[in-house]
Amino acid sequence: MLRIKFAVLTCLLVILGSSPLWAASDQEVELLRAEIAAMKAAHEERILLLEAKLEEVAVAKVAAKSEASSDEIIAVAPIRPATNRRQIKKNLFNPSIGLIFNGQYTQHETAEGEIAGFAVGHEGERGGEGFAIDHTELTFSSSIDDKFFGSLTAAIVKHEGKTEIELEEAFIQTMPGLGLPTGASIKAGRFLATIGYLNEHHTHTDDFTDRPLPYRVFLDGGYNDDGLQATYVLPTDFYAEIGGGLFRGDDYPFGGSDGEGIDAWTAYARTGGDIGENQSWRLGGSVLSGKSTTGRESNHELVSYVGDTDLYIADARYTWAPTGNATNQEFALQGEFFWKEEDGFYSDAESGADSVLMDDSSEGWYTQATYKFARNWRFGARYSQLNAADVPTGLIGSHLDGEGYNPKAYTAMFDWTNSEFSRVRLQYNREELASGQGDDQIMLQYIMSIGAHAAHKY
Amino acid sequence: MMSAAFLCCASSNAMAALEVFACEPEWASLASEIGGDKVKTFSATHARQDPHFIKARPSLISKVRRADLIVCSGADLEIGWLPLLLERAGADVQRGAVGNVMAYQYVPLLEIPTVIDRSLGDIHPDGNPHIHLDPRNLLLVGKELLNRLVLIDEGNSDFYKLRFAQFETKLNTAIARWLEEGKQLKGMQVMTKHKSLSYLIKFFGLEEVASLEPRPGLPPTSSHLAKILESVGSKNVRAIIRAPYESDRGIDWITSKTKIKNVIIPYTVDGDDNSGDLFALFDRSLAILKSAL
Repeated sequence: MLRIKFAVLTCLLVILGSSPLWAASDQEVELLRAEIAAMKAAHEERILLLEAKLEEVAVAKVAAKSEASSDEIIAVAPIRPATNRRQIKKNLFNPSIGLIFNGQYTQHETAEGEIAGFAVGHEGERGGEGFAIDHTELTFSSSIDDKFFGSLTAAIVKHEGKTEIELEEAFIQTMPGLGLPTGASIKAGRFLATIGYLNEHHTHTDDFTDRPLPYRVFLDGGYNDDGLQATYVLPTDFYAEIGGGLFRGDDYPFGGSDGEGIDAWTAYARTGGDIGENQSWRLGGSVLSGKSTTGRESNHELVSYVGDTDLYIADARYTWAPTGNATNQEFALQGEFFWKEEDGFYSDAESGADSVLMDDSSEGWYTQATYKFARNWRFGARYSQLNAADVPTGLIGSHLDGEGYNPKAYTAMFDWTNSEFSRVRLQYNREELASGQGDDQIMLQYIMSIGAHAAHKY
Repeated sequence: MMSAAFLCCASSNAMAALEVFACEPEWASLASEIGGDKVKTFSATHARQDPHFIKARPSLISKVRRADLIVCSGADLEIGWLPLLLERAGADVQRGAVGNVMAYQYVPLLEIPTVIDRSLGDIHPDGNPHIHLDPRNLLLVGKELLNRLVLIDEGNSDFYKLRFAQFETKLNTAIARWLEEGKQLKGMQVMTKHKSLSYLIKFFGLEEVASLEPRPGLPPTSSHLAKILESVGSKNVRAIIRAPYESDRGIDWITSKTKIKNVIIPYTVDGDDNSGDLFALFDRSLAILKSAL
């Protein structure tokens, strides 16, 4: 309405101004001008008012929307055909579901791949050759209510020709709503214990296709056991975290728990921070201690161990990224050192050793570096080494007798990451795991994920 | 260790400033505008960091654990790191709690996708999360921040209300000025790198004719760039605009073949030397855009 009046007046003014027939006086022109100015002001005020109203409506709409959970918004927002509009409300509470595909092609140069001087579990052995899918991981997770969170990760694997389901993790965890002190949390169930650096990470987040030698021999890939773990982030200005757990003692480096009592425990402490804008670091120390009561089997069930095992781990990680922006460039350096003390009895079915007392220590360490040189490309290198224990006379010639040799492995990798959901990797290993033995290996691997994908830890 | 822990807490109690953990500099700046010296702000990212892609570093864990109020853009912008940090934070800053402000919930969002599929690139199901570049959104989020500050720190509520009122007046005046001075930008054709400047584009009425990313979050491909170059002839594109943290990959190729300018918008507070606060950010953005006309 206003707009039309305004236009008419403008037209009038133009006609008045240009037509000599209507030679109006200056006074009249001024009057008209004033009227137009007044109308213009009213007009603008009106528009501002309307804009404010529009904003109010928009905000109200957003506020109403924000009351609904974000999941609901995703479910409701898209325009759908009429036939598809029926809402199944029970689905809204479905947990997040994520699936990891992990496949590879491997080629080894030599037939032998045993690690000299160590008891090695099933997961720590050299992988198979040819095409294979490794762990296919299925994860369900969700908050249970205001106080608890639950998560399950099952791996579908092929083991001795049979497809099996391995329960990697099935745990509940307290949420801050429970009322524990800020920074404290308790986890219960089966889970990857918080020790070292790599242990609590799922293998699909690793920077290399296989785990380094110390993880293979000391933890059989990773220590996940049934138990309870408490963690606490200290209220300090710098990052400091402590924690510990009690476990059944059923997973490597323990085994054969009869379930009477608690056979294993862990403790850890960590700290970390930034150096300027470009660098970050984390340091940690941890202990895993326990006993194998009825016998821990290793080396294809040929070796068994009854006794105490203490494992001490020191871990460090350092990252550099220009201005802390890891999008296009990042360098990461990481290493862990392991010291294992065993006091117990070894038997080896092959050498005939029967319950021979061994009280000695062995060591292992690895260090790795990765460099992201472009948004989607990285390369990396890793070196890992083990120092076996000296064996008592009774174990000479057994799997534990490394004849003074220190197994080592050199690794180089190159990978392409299309998005945070897909990665393809080429890796070369040179493993010298026993005296006089060298194995060149090539691995081509893909890791891809669909569905929900949890954020990766530092 | 224990004595250090005790000392730090004793000193923070004495100061009693609210600890505000902002995911991005713009929210730290907004919190300071309203909270003044009653709040101590910390920003998890700075202007040269892509907020999509930082890591949940140890230093951030200790900061978030001590926070009384968390302010983030939300809409999945921080999905790669914020959930990990929140696991370590207190109950009062968790999702839905009084100390948790996800700014996207209080503003009208642009670019809400109708189809959600990962083949479409880096999709934000709730809409474009870079909301602070429309200054009117700062008022909406600021209002909510005021509500929360009053709830958390009732004793200083008059202080916060007064400061917000001052900020509101100042910003409204500035918005009117920006719109007036930015009139000539209406219809100015630009190309973008990523969808990080959509709200600024809308505010000044620019026309975004193309994005160098074929799909959100996916780097430019040569075929996509060739297509863009082909389409440029029929248009009057003045500039390719981008945030400081976005790489110039693909931009040089286009600017070398055309008269299109390569322009960096500060994007957030301290995005360049002349963007020290929220007001300077828009003053500077306006000046940069006008000089590219």
